[in-house]
Amino acid sequence: MEDILGQLAQQAVNGITIGGVYALIAIGYTMVYGVLSMLNFAHGEIYMVGGFVGWWVLQIFSVNHVPVMNAALLISFMIVLSMGISALLGFLIERIAYRPLRNAPRMNLLLSSFGVSIFIQNFVLYFQGAKVKVFHISHLIPEGLRVFHIGGVVISFMRILVIVTCFICMVVLTLIIKKTNIGKSIRATAQDIEAAAFMGINTDKIIVIVFLIGSALGGAAGILVSLLFTQVDYYVGFQAGIKGFTAAVLGGIGSIPGAMAGGILLGLCEAMAVTFFPSAYKDVVAFVILIAVLIFRPQGLMGEKIREKV
Amino acid sequence: MKRVIILLLAMFFVFVGQTVLANDVSKGISVGNAGSFTGDAAAPCMEIFNSSQLAVDEWNARGGINGVQIKHVMGDDALDPAQGINVARKFTSDKTMYGVVGPPVSHIAQASLKIYGQSNLACITTAASKPELTESGYKHFFRVNARNDAHGWNSALFIKNNLKAKKVAILNEKVAYCENMAQQTIKGLKKLGITDVMRDTIVAGSKDYSSVLTKVKAYKPDVLFFIATTAPDQAIGVRQAKELGIDAIFFGTEGARDKKDFIEASEGAAQGAYVYHFGPDIYSIKEAENYVKKYEDKYGSLSGFGPPAYEAMNILLTAIDMAAKDGEISRKEVISKLAAIKDYKGILGFPVSFDEKGDLLGGATYFFKVNGKDFEQVAVLTGK
Repeated sequence: MEDILGQLAQQAVNGITIGGVYALIAIGYTMVYGVLSMLNFAHGEIYMVGGFVGWWVLQIFSVNHVPVMNAALLISFMIVLSMGISALLGFLIERIAYRPLRNAPRMNLLLSSFGVSIFIQNFVLYFQGAKVKVFHISHLIPEGLRVFHIGGVVISFMRILVIVTCFICMVVLTLIIKKTNIGKSIRATAQDIEAAAFMGINTDKIIVIVFLIGSALGGAAGILVSLLFTQVDYYVGFQAGIKGFTAAVLGGIGSIPGAMAGGILLGLCEAMAVTFFPSAYKDVVAFVILIAVLIFRPQGLMGEKIREKV
Repeated sequence: MKRVIILLLAMFFVFVGQTVLANDVSKGISVGNAGSFTGDAAAPCMEIFNSSQLAVDEWNARGGINGVQIKHVMGDDALDPAQGINVARKFTSDKTMYGVVGPPVSHIAQASLKIYGQSNLACITTAASKPELTESGYKHFFRVNARNDAHGWNSALFIKNNLKAKKVAILNEKVAYCENMAQQTIKGLKKLGITDVMRDTIVAGSKDYSSVLTKVKAYKPDVLFFIATTAPDQAIGVRQAKELGIDAIFFGTEGARDKKDFIEASEGAAQGAYVYHFGPDIYSIKEAENYVKKYEDKYGSLSGFGPPAYEAMNILLTAIDMAAKDGEISRKEVISKLAAIKDYKGILGFPVSFDEKGDLLGGATYFFKVNGKDFEQVAVLTGK
């Protein structure tokens, strides 16, 4: 019995870490859906690019895997630059692939996002190769700080970094959405894009801001996971995208707190499921929960019921 | 009248088509090399290609076959069975191609062997070890590496006798080679009286094995046999196992015998880990000295995948050479000459012969331990 409890505690740590990352990806899906009612399937690739940017930063600023500057500074620099370049990429995607289709049927936007996804994946494949890029992180963390033991539970420094960074990102985002004028405009645009435009909100600008924020968080997720698992390759965006999308639907697509809760719940369910079932069923359990939620609460955990207007 | 002409033309083409079966050697001779030259298995596969290239270059320097220079063609499947089928189609439609080295990955071989077989194109794999591959009645398929049932039994012996384990955890990927290797090892362990075995699966490329490893930790095994195809996945496995504080001996598979992608990529976590491999420590074999020197001068350091490929290409070219003696050659002739190869003495340290299924007679499994930045051969088992 004690064994099972110890194992569950460890799985909770595993689940919250990966769940926090799912949440960051889900926020990107949910915000774009909120303002444009479209699913941005290229979002997973933005996550992947975030990982690659981090790898290049680490590569450029280290000699023989030893960083040439303060480790904390380097890690922050990796995260900030990943977020910045991912945001820029999100901005470009919106400008090139989505804005010209603003008034086209929704299906065209969806197809365009698939196209962007395939393009970015192959672009990275062409210029970076298919081989896994390895993060040599052992010199970033001092020996004594690598793992902590709390009771029987092991938690590594990188996991703490991931959890804390995810938490900070979510708090800052919530503050922006709740307290600032831009946040207010985003909420108004999400509620009704035409009415928001009538009220004098520059909705084009708001859509750009939404893409910037969502993509920056996606890039952050990419670099955090890469630091945690020490590898990145051109194909990681696909699975991450699917998981982030699932988390967004689970929480109620369009709802930012929903995406956060959905991500963490999905991560926890997956990790816990492995304790009781063969690990091949990990994804099965996650998706059964998704289906159950959709049957009994079609709007998702925190989504709002949209009444048909007459 | 028109109909008669068409009929005559048709008969003419049928006639021409038949004569194509036995080709004039002077039209050209090429050999294919099918493998995953991009993707996660790129490093071992490039070693296979480069070693085959060395063999081809040596033959060409000696004047080729019947005075014809041999062309070596690369077919990349990017570790994807669908692409493997494309490679097979490309190779079989090349009229001057008489043999192929590869495919080295079991599930890709499984998908594409039938196509090679339909046009009687001989294949010698240097690494695909799933037993069923030679159990399907193919006449055109040979291997210079031992099969999974031999590796599984030898690994079970190694786990019991050398690693002294009583409790074993086995994690395997859900692909043909890994699934089969896990089954064969468990069968062997049972035979040896080790029944305390936990088995679970992992997903290749998912990069997060922490939840299944947490389960392994609670099981408290003596040995963790981590059966994955590629070195990067095993590097993550050994790293996350260490991070979670699993003190079981980490035992990896042949894919992990890769200094850069396993030892270096795991940043110390692989220290003291074991791996098995189908190829011997080539540095200890005298006949291989020349090959090792040539390879290292040209392509850099060797792991274990190169030597069998050099051997396989030499055997293939020997067979083609015998088939081409009379100036004419056909793919069927190459297959029959390959089947007749007896006690070929090359660089592997043991004579190569094939049994009637195309399998290597008397294959061995080699065991290595990670020591510092390199692998150290600790045991050779041949089923006893």
